[in-house]
Amino acid sequence: MSLSPVSIPPPSAEPAPLFNERNYLVAERGWRSWLTTLDHKRIGMIYLVLTLVAFLLGGIYAMVIRVELLTPGPTIIEAVTYNKAFTLHGVIMILLFMIPAIPGIFGNFFIPLMIGARDVAFPRLNLLSVYLYLAGMLIAIFGMIHGGADTGWTFYTPYSTTTITKVWPILLGGFILGMGSIVTGLNFIVTIHTLRAPGITWMKMPLFIWSAYATSVIQVLATPVLGITLLLVAVENVFGFGVFDPARGGDPVLFQHLFWFYSHPAVYIMILPAMGVISEVIQAFSRKNVFGYRAVALSSLGIAFVGFFTWGHHLFTSGQSAVDAGVFGVLTMFVGIFTAIKVFNWTATLYRGSISFQTPFAYVVAFLFFLVFGGMTGIALATVALDVHWQDTYFVVAHFHFIMVGGTITGFLGAIHYWWPKMTGKMYSEKWGLIAATFIFLGFNFTFVPQFLLGNAGMPRRYYSYPERFWPLNVASTAGASVLALGFVIILVYLLLSLKYGKPAGPNPWGSRGYEWQTLSPPPVENFESQPTYPRPPHDYDDANPAKEFH
Amino acid sequence: MSAPEHASHKHGPGRYVAVWAALLVFTALTVGLGRIHLAGGWSIVIAMVIATVKASLVVLFFMHMKEHGGASRLVLATTLVFVALLMGLVLLDNATRFPLANPPTEATLPLMPPGPDATLPAAVPARAAH
Repeated sequence: MSLSPVSIPPPSAEPAPLFNERNYLVAERGWRSWLTTLDHKRIGMIYLVLTLVAFLLGGIYAMVIRVELLTPGPTIIEAVTYNKAFTLHGVIMILLFMIPAIPGIFGNFFIPLMIGARDVAFPRLNLLSVYLYLAGMLIAIFGMIHGGADTGWTFYTPYSTTTITKVWPILLGGFILGMGSIVTGLNFIVTIHTLRAPGITWMKMPLFIWSAYATSVIQVLATPVLGITLLLVAVENVFGFGVFDPARGGDPVLFQHLFWFYSHPAVYIMILPAMGVISEVIQAFSRKNVFGYRAVALSSLGIAFVGFFTWGHHLFTSGQSAVDAGVFGVLTMFVGIFTAIKVFNWTATLYRGSISFQTPFAYVVAFLFFLVFGGMTGIALATVALDVHWQDTYFVVAHFHFIMVGGTITGFLGAIHYWWPKMTGKMYSEKWGLIAATFIFLGFNFTFVPQFLLGNAGMPRRYYSYPERFWPLNVASTAGASVLALGFVIILVYLLLSLKYGKPAGPNPWGSRGYEWQTLSPPPVENFESQPTYPRPPHDYDDANPAKEFH
Repeated sequence: MSAPEHASHKHGPGRYVAVWAALLVFTALTVGLGRIHLAGGWSIVIAMVIATVKASLVVLFFMHMKEHGGASRLVLATTLVFVALLMGLVLLDNATRFPLANPPTEATLPLMPPGPDATLPAAVPARAAH
């Protein structure tokens, strides 16, 4: 048996083609074949298109907000439109992009490839999840066109139950999106439990699989709470139920408890898959086995578990008891421990590695910076006394954008640059890749560092106008957002161009020893030409013999 | 995988009918209890105990948890832990909210706006008992 991480063809075998003509993209033709596909790879590609549409929409709202805040008074829109813009920006970016993006695209595409399976456990449920996503998206967009909510994406009662704007379509859309999320999570859990190829034990699973598993557990456990809570708000808004209305024995703070019981773990639904991507990319581009596999793998479960104990830190100033606030403040700190385990292990992986600073790795570096910065400000915010000062200011906005945009979106961009050659069989321009990564990194910092300063100086979030002393920092933030947007446009352009003009990637352009690279690019419908074997762990670079590369 | 399924096929419908009958009895008991007003909040305690027994019967027999082992039971136990977590920390908030938010010496009542609309939150009288 070969000593390589996977089976390698004998020397006499024909070399693998640079571009696999018999691939999943062209196996069937016509739009109907896409709408009814059960192939996990095609479903991943459908998610790619849909979530990118959502990202574009959310990005447009973001730019509307930033342009409006360019001057202290009214700039381009009215106050109520501004309220709707930040609501829709949040709803779209969180529910339609950051939660479904990495699991929907890369989870669907790569979980079976990484565990040597033919498909996910329930291909039909997988297709259903796409349609649930689409239905939720369309209903939410309908709600935006017909009125649009102005409550903020958090839908806090009593405002959301009394507002004259139409919130129920967006709440219903969120409910349906949640069902799609549960279905995906369930599918991944069963897939990972039951479809691992012989040889891939739990402690030999790629780290992306561990993080996808932890994410799925959160999705299945927490999302139902959000679904029911959104429905309760909708019925209270439409029919006047009294669950959250104190005049009828309800409690508005109860809404915040229920909402954040899902929505705080949802932050880990967004960031854990990104952490999984980083674990993969960092090994491939430093050509080193991860330092402390067990710690990195199990800390994903640790984050998923502890993430459920922290929701009350969103309620420090909303009437929650001091005892509860203290308990939640301390529990929140535990997330920092598991995150730090990952960060220290990643940096230890880099130590004496053979680093190739290509585009996916650039996003790893950006991710580490943003995660640590955003995470540390999160620890500061978990300190009750400090949070009282920062609550509902731009400091909080900057903090969660560092984690969710800085963390999740650099993870997403790292993933798309790392796996694009496998998904499409084409290489993008490395030069433009690094240029765009630079724009993203600088633009991001110029957007959100000023917001930390604004928040600390007392500028509240979600306000339409502000005193003139906040003007210069707001201009800086809007300028940064423009650079960030330019970075995204550049990425979109060169990725689309690569589809037509890109060089064929070959099966493994990075020389990665992740399990998913042992098939052709793009993969055949059946995933593998022949069932691979897995004698060694993924990303095993101990044996430096180049003959042991895949293909 | 198929072992538990086979196990569930061993017994006929009799067991399910018995469980169903027990559920009906417990439902009747709950309704009957609702008509008697027990002192000291015992009504709700007994009603919750009956509801828990009924839910356990459904989970054990109709959902076949009695015959399933390992992973299925772990999943059930995990969900129960998270339900307890949600309820527990929310109730902790409610139970500790007013006495600690407002020190006992602080005058709460005079700060309430005067007039016929000045109704007290339900938890305030409980605070007075402290």
